[in-house]
Formats: sequence, structure tokens, C-alpha cells
Amino acid sequence: MTANFPGPVPTVDLGAEPSTAEKRMTRARLSRRRLYLRRFLRSKGAVAGLVILGLLVLFALLGGEFTPYSYSDVDFAGLTAPPSPDHILGTDSAGNDTFAQAVHGLQRSLVIAVSVSALTTVISAFVGAVAAYLGGTTEKVVLGIVHFLLVVPSFLILALVSQKAGGDWRVLIVVLTVFGWMYNARVVWALATSLREREYVLAARFMGVGRVRIVLRHLIPNIGSLLVVTFTIGVVATVQGETALSFIGFGVQPPDVSLGTMLNDGADTVSSAPWLFYVPAVLVTLLTVSMALIGDGLRDALDPTSRSGGGA
Amino acid sequence: MIVVATNLTYFLASLFLDPRANYLQLRPPRSPEEIDRSLAQYNLSPATPLLDRWWHWISDIVLHWNWGYSPVGVSVNTQIAFRIGVSAQLVLLSMILSTVLGIALGVYTAGRQYRFADRFHQALSIITINVPTVVASLVVVLLAIMLNQSLGTTLLFVAGAQSPTVSGFWPLVLDRIRHLVLPTVALTLISYAGYHLLQRSLLLDTINSDYVRTARAKGLTRKEAIRRHGLRTSLIPVATSVAFAVPALFTGAVITETIFGWQGMGQYFTSTISNNDINGVVAVAAFGALMTAIGAILADIAVVVLDPRVRMAGS
Repeated sequence: MTANFPGPVPTVDLGAEPSTAEKRMTRARLSRRRLYLRRFLRSKGAVAGLVILGLLVLFALLGGEFTPYSYSDVDFAGLTAPPSPDHILGTDSAGNDTFAQAVHGLQRSLVIAVSVSALTTVISAFVGAVAAYLGGTTEKVVLGIVHFLLVVPSFLILALVSQKAGGDWRVLIVVLTVFGWMYNARVVWALATSLREREYVLAARFMGVGRVRIVLRHLIPNIGSLLVVTFTIGVVATVQGETALSFIGFGVQPPDVSLGTMLNDGADTVSSAPWLFYVPAVLVTLLTVSMALIGDGLRDALDPTSRSGGGA
Repeated sequence: MIVVATNLTYFLASLFLDPRANYLQLRPPRSPEEIDRSLAQYNLSPATPLLDRWWHWISDIVLHWNWGYSPVGVSVNTQIAFRIGVSAQLVLLSMILSTVLGIALGVYTAGRQYRFADRFHQALSIITINVPTVVASLVVVLLAIMLNQSLGTTLLFVAGAQSPTVSGFWPLVLDRIRHLVLPTVALTLISYAGYHLLQRSLLLDTINSDYVRTARAKGLTRKEAIRRHGLRTSLIPVATSVAFAVPALFTGAVITETIFGWQGMGQYFTSTISNNDINGVVAVAAFGALMTAIGAILADIAVVVLDPRVRMAGS
């Protein structure tokens, strides 16, 4: 599903895999990590993204402390009330407090995005690497499935299944994962095919290391930098997908609240009650843009051939 | 592939959608037998085994090019025929605009790497590429409403593809344009940035290559060397990504059409699912798969046209 949304596509230089051997002294490891950190912090955009994301997470976790209302509380005295000291960000047409809803919706969207992106990254890394390493029939079958799923209009099937599920966010996670791993698996496969002929992989194989172990210990760590970037970009894509699905009514559904359903509420009253639109719009934009900035910064920091992170 | 994907969607849609729901709300209430009888004439009755329905459905398509009916008896064929036109004007126009805008910006900023214009447009593109379609479209609506209010008249319409009351050729054209501007702007806004960033980074790679330097040494101006020699090679991947963006644009149009109230394919997609219209859903899926295939073919054609290293067999 990732591939069907307009948005960033993970691009990684093919020569980008870190050529560091698996066995390294602890001291060298530490300094490599410090190197990545230094290169990451050098990019202003990435740091800004990290700060914004940190604030958003804090808001999602602690925001509930600043309002006496819960997201489902209904205030019949103030329907579609503009922001006031009582309701900091106003209320919607059903009398729900927008601030409390925003906190809950952001939580919901964050949980969905992070878990879907983590799951798809893990699945695509494993499937792609196994297919590349085993080769032969396994590779053909896996690639066949991947290509088939890429042709299937996944957005439509997503909408079908999640509508049937009645908008349960856990089902949404499963469905988004099932239709979201193929594109990344294809990218991982392409990278891993070049890795499988490397000397250290051959050496491990001739020493009698098992297949699964080679995939887990030698192939996947060497595409780690790609996976980290894939994860951050996956979060952006999932937030966009979830927002779109919930907006047209096939994702998270009332009474549950996500940023997408809040946008749906706000869309009808864009001129008469704009605060209902501004709040989720600002939050969702901050979320996607900050994640994208972090992804860019990580890509530059982890890519040994990149010069945009500065020397060293 | 298209055929397999379409058939798979048919079975999935039949499993997940229940057309009986459309009749349960009717007053006076109908008995289950009556509902099944009404549905049976559209080949939708759950009482008939799924495989029988599937056979009936696919033989109707193959023999009569008839994609079936909705649960209330609206022909899918007529709906699709009408909606493809509506979607096409929206999607094609914004696709052309965003491609031209993206490539032009890419060339412009690549020539001014790290200067203010480059930084500014890059920041703008990073934001627009990451803003969800919903937000971008609604911001466009909001701005248009503000514009209309400040002008005191409705210059640009925020809903629908045309007004029902307008007649005459030129008023009609003008009316269409006034409806078309906003959704096109919204769709262009979300899609140009990808081409801009891609074109910029690709052109930066070729700008310092030997053949561009040779062209400069030959006496071409910097602008001309970039345009004639650098741009051509760097256009290839951009053209590929434009071609593959065709199906993505149609899904992007789902949101845009919903917000702007256009009766296009995207809006049909949402309405078929919420109305349990199995045949309609499958037709939309087939259309989407067809678009993906067309995109892949277009990408191949673009590579052959642009890349002198690729020669078609026989030439």
C-alpha cells in the first residue's frame, strides 16, 4: 500500500551499505555510533524534526493532564463552541472537547503509524533477505507474490476490509501491514542479492553457519541503515494512509478518534468552525514533516558515501 | 495480472460486502425472500452460490462487456463511462501541470545549488510533499473561501464540476474552468514536489559530468549545456516516475474528488464501498489495475524515447 500513495519513496545509494565487518571491537563500535550521531546533529533540519517529534510525543503522552475532559466526554452546554478558557481549543458539533480529542487522536495515529511501520520493516527485511539468500524457487515465488500484491489495488482492499471490521484500530494495523510490506521487500531483496556474493557471507557459509543465522547475523545488519530510513519514511506513509482512509470513513471510525476522523469532522465546517480543522491539520502536518526531516537526516548520517553530512 | 487481480477483488468484495443491507432500511420492511429476489435479478443474491454468481458475472463481461449492476439496479457501465471523463480532465490537467512545474523548478534550483532560491524551494517542497492530501485540499478550500469573501463574489467554486443552470458555449467553458481551478491546484500542490526534488538531485549529478563540461568547452553557454546535454539524461528517471504516478494520482483523486464534490472515479470508489456495490467496486479495481499497467507501458516508452542507449529491436 505504501507504493500507492503520493509521497516520499525510499531511495538509497546502492553502494551505501556499511562495509564494516560483523566482529568489531567495542570501542570501534561506540565511536562509529558517535560518528553517526555527530553527522545527524550537524543537519539543522533533522534536529528541528527531532525536536518537533519529541514535543508531539510529549503532547500525546502528557496532554491529557492539562484538560479535565476525556475525548469521549460530551458537553451539551457548548456545541461547536469556539476556543475559550473552559475549552482551550473549542468543541465540535457533538460537544466533545477538541483538545482532549487531539491528544487522543494523535496517540491513536502515532501508535498505528509506528507499529505498522515497524512491522512492515521487520517483515520486508526478513522476507527480502531470505528470498535473496536462498535464491531458486523460493526467490521466484516470493517475487511473484510481491509483484502480484503490487498490482492489486491495495487502497481499495484496505478500505473494504477495514470497513467490514468496523474501524477497529488494531484491525487497521494488521491490514495496513499486510498490504504495506511488498515495496520495501523488493528494495531489500535488490540490495541483499548483491550482498549474498560477498566474501564474509561465503566465509560464514563455508564455516557451516546455518541459513537463517546467516540471514539474521550477516545480511540484515548490513542493510541496517536502509532499514532505519525505511522505518521513518514508513511512518510518514502510514500517517498519510491512515488519515486518508479515516477521512473517507474507512479507517478509524467513531466513537474512536484519530487525526483522520478529526479532519473529517473539521472538513464540513472549514469556514464556520475553523478550529476543528486547524488543530488536526497542524498536528498531522507537523508529524509527517518532522518524520521526513528525521529520515533525510538519518539517510545522510548513515550513508558513508554521502557528503551532505560534512566530512568525517 | 489484471485479470487475476480483478477476479481476486471480486471474491474479496463478495465476502466483505453485503448488498442486502441496502434493502433493510426500506419502508415498508421487506422479507428476506423479497430482498433475495430483488438482488437475484442483478446477480447479487447471497442465496446463489458464489461460484455461480462469479461465472455469470465473468461471462457477462467477456461476452457482452457488461460489468453488472449496483444493488439498486444502476448499470456500472454507464456510471464508469461518465465518471472516467470527469476524473480524466482533473487528473490529466494536474499531472501535466505538476510535471512541468516540478521539472522546471528542478532545473532552476539545480543551477542555483545552495543559494537562497534553492533553499527556499526545497523547504517548500519538503513541506508540500509530506502534507496529507486531505490537509492540502482543505487549505486550498479555505484560501478560496477567503478569496471569494474578499472579492465579494464567488470567483472560484469549491464544490462540483459544473453549475446546473449555465447554458451557452462560452459561459459553459468559463463555468467549467471556475470549477476546475481549485481541485487542479490541490492535486498539483501535492504531486509537483516529488518531481522537483528528484529532478534537482539527478541534474546535480549530471551537471558536473564530463560530457556537460565538454559541451561547455565546445562553446555552449552554461544554460544551453545544461538544457541540451544535462537535462536529457536526467529526465529519464523522472519520466519513469511520472508514468508510475498515474495510478497514485487516481487514489489521490479519491480525497480531492470527495472534498470538491466531483462525481469522478475516486468518488465512485468511496460510494460503491459504502453502498455495498460489489460490481462497482470490482470495476474500480479493474480500472486501477489497468492504470498501473498503462503506467508501466508509458514508462517503457518514455525510456525508449529519451534514452539514446536503448534501441528498439529491428531499428
